[in-house]
Amino acid sequence: MKETMRRIAALAAVALAGAAQAQEIKVGGIFDLTGITADVGKPFATGVRDAVGWVNENGGVNGKKIRLVDADYGYKVPEGVALYKRLVNDEQVVMVNGWGTGDTEALKDTVTRDKMPFFSASFSAHLNDPKKTPYNFFVPPSYSEALRAWLQWVKEDWKDKSRNPRVAFFYGDNAYGKSPIEAGRRYAKEIGVDVVDEEILPGIVQDATSQLLNMKQKGADYAYTQVTTPNFSAVLRDAKKLGLTTKWGTNVWGFGELLLGVAKEAAEGVVGAMANPPFGENVPGMAKVVAWHQKNHPNDTHDTNYVRGWSYVMVWSEALKRADKAGKLTGEGIREALETFKDFDLGGLSSPVTFTKDDHRATTRVSLYQVQGGKLVKAKETELPRKPEWLGL
Amino acid sequence: MNCGQFRETYREDMAIFETNFARGLLALFLVALAAAPAFLSFFWMDVLNRILIAVIAATGLNILTGFTGQISLGNAAFLAVGAYSTAFFAGRLGLPFLLVIPMSGLMTALVGMVFGVPSLRLKGLYLAVATLAAHFVIEFTASHWDGVTGGVNGISVPPAKLGGLELSGDRRLFYLVLPLTVLMLFFAKNLFRTKTGKAFVAIRDQDISAEVMGVNVFKYKLLSFGVSSFYVGVAGSLVAYHANIISPENFPITVAIDQLGMIIIGGLGSILGSIFGAVFITLLPEVLRVGTGALGDTFPKLIDLFAPLKQGVFGLAIVLFLLFEPDGMAARWHSIRNYWKLYPFSY
Repeated sequence: MKETMRRIAALAAVALAGAAQAQEIKVGGIFDLTGITADVGKPFATGVRDAVGWVNENGGVNGKKIRLVDADYGYKVPEGVALYKRLVNDEQVVMVNGWGTGDTEALKDTVTRDKMPFFSASFSAHLNDPKKTPYNFFVPPSYSEALRAWLQWVKEDWKDKSRNPRVAFFYGDNAYGKSPIEAGRRYAKEIGVDVVDEEILPGIVQDATSQLLNMKQKGADYAYTQVTTPNFSAVLRDAKKLGLTTKWGTNVWGFGELLLGVAKEAAEGVVGAMANPPFGENVPGMAKVVAWHQKNHPNDTHDTNYVRGWSYVMVWSEALKRADKAGKLTGEGIREALETFKDFDLGGLSSPVTFTKDDHRATTRVSLYQVQGGKLVKAKETELPRKPEWLGL
Repeated sequence: MNCGQFRETYREDMAIFETNFARGLLALFLVALAAAPAFLSFFWMDVLNRILIAVIAATGLNILTGFTGQISLGNAAFLAVGAYSTAFFAGRLGLPFLLVIPMSGLMTALVGMVFGVPSLRLKGLYLAVATLAAHFVIEFTASHWDGVTGGVNGISVPPAKLGGLELSGDRRLFYLVLPLTVLMLFFAKNLFRTKTGKAFVAIRDQDISAEVMGVNVFKYKLLSFGVSSFYVGVAGSLVAYHANIISPENFPITVAIDQLGMIIIGGLGSILGSIFGAVFITLLPEVLRVGTGALGDTFPKLIDLFAPLKQGVFGLAIVLFLLFEPDGMAARWHSIRNYWKLYPFSY
């Protein structure tokens, strides 16, 4: 008798587990844990995983649990594409949280064909145009907006009214590096900033002396880099060695706690766009992030990239909720749900998010932080106009 | 009854299939492979296609490096030439794939021969550096010739069409890739039964004595670059059809290194080796990923720990093969086969 009871209980448990499985929503994750962007990819991935755990513990998606199916692709495009195929066709995920520029670009036609919402950590402005890429999304302001905001700051920071400030752009010869440059050139012209120099940096910067000397010769007062943190650190180190007085700026991927750790005092004075506040910053949305960190891995250190992972999940889990409520938990339904976002508040984890049918710019608000005394201090927050001609540029 | 296999004529010595049994076995294997799409998941179909494409590319590299002894680090770039040619011929000119694939191969052969010219004077390390230069020249061209290559943002490739049927998706594309791979492999196998192939091998073994014997070394070196690049170009063309969008980021230098790894692990100077190597190197990350993914559900921390493992295993495999089996997996395969052929009376 006891044995029978036990069997029944076991069967019931299996049945329950089956039912629970049916109540799961599968979301794909394509992360870089080992490739050239692993330094920022790992904390981002951890952030996404933790946030999914938090959502599941706090009601899930209208009671349904999110199951994140993720893997590392080592920043290799073919492996990322293969992983995407596995997630979409075999795992049958409803959407994908992706990563790099190369794979996002390589997949943009495919995700459109598959009607698969694809959140990337590539913030190329051309992904904002739903006429071309209706299923590509990202949460922060685009690279172009970040550069525009920085140029605006340059204009304000420049006190000598006898001439325009001179800026230089440093970027890699790839899709990520070149992404905001054209927008930057045009905006600089518009507001009266002279772009005097553009220097190309290699994929891995060992030494930037020759580029820096070139820039010095052209007389740039400010310089903006569209590279990664290790590369930017190498540039800053060499600039310090050469005793340059140029004021440096950078985008999301060149900035953050990581830069302070790597570049140390060479980072002093750098102004960078941040999409998300540093970990632990006093904003309302941070409480749950810190609480989760205290509860689950109090000994780890976290940074803004970790917070970014959270902000992504906050956005797409809300979209899943809305799509689920509308009874349309499909790629198309999730896109439609996203397009109902209007000033969706993330409690300061990222700027409020708005998506519309013909504009996928999540936000045009850029926060600029400056390194002051070895700390990240908020320098300026700008709301750039949502100009229609800037869509996709 | 013979205790073993004896070759009594040159004809037998040069035969591709030593026995009818081997021939039957291969036929059976091909039939099983052709039926694979019915059984494999989408993901494994993608892996299978990538393996076959890698087999073609590795065979191409093996013709040059393994058989002719000319080291090349330009393989990723030649792959890119094939892929971009396909994007141009298929996308811009709208040609059918039956024309596009051989044309992409020829285009790559031409480019390969141009970069093969230094091989007349350069050997070994110096040639490696010269072909490395080819990589960067071609990469630069791909990122900056915006009108043709789409620059750093890449370019779309329309799917191959057979009649009205689009060969998009891995299951359909597989029936283009598989026959092509078999064809290319048979051609390569046969190539080394001809005068040209023997000339390649003579150059590899001793270029001076080859010259003395009357082999026109420069001509055959160039020819080897041409044939090898043709193979890589065809592989590149298939990469383009497989990927739908290509950009310079699809062809980093690591692709060339992976392919060198393939022929070293598989077996230099062996067609079978190219197959083994391509299978091994392409499968390695996928198997490790599936393995760590399965474990990751129960031990989330393990993913962080195991994810970097594949580079380590790749490096370790190369070192171990160089130490213990310099002739690669193909040689190991032969010794295993010979052991069983005479089992239990091996002597």
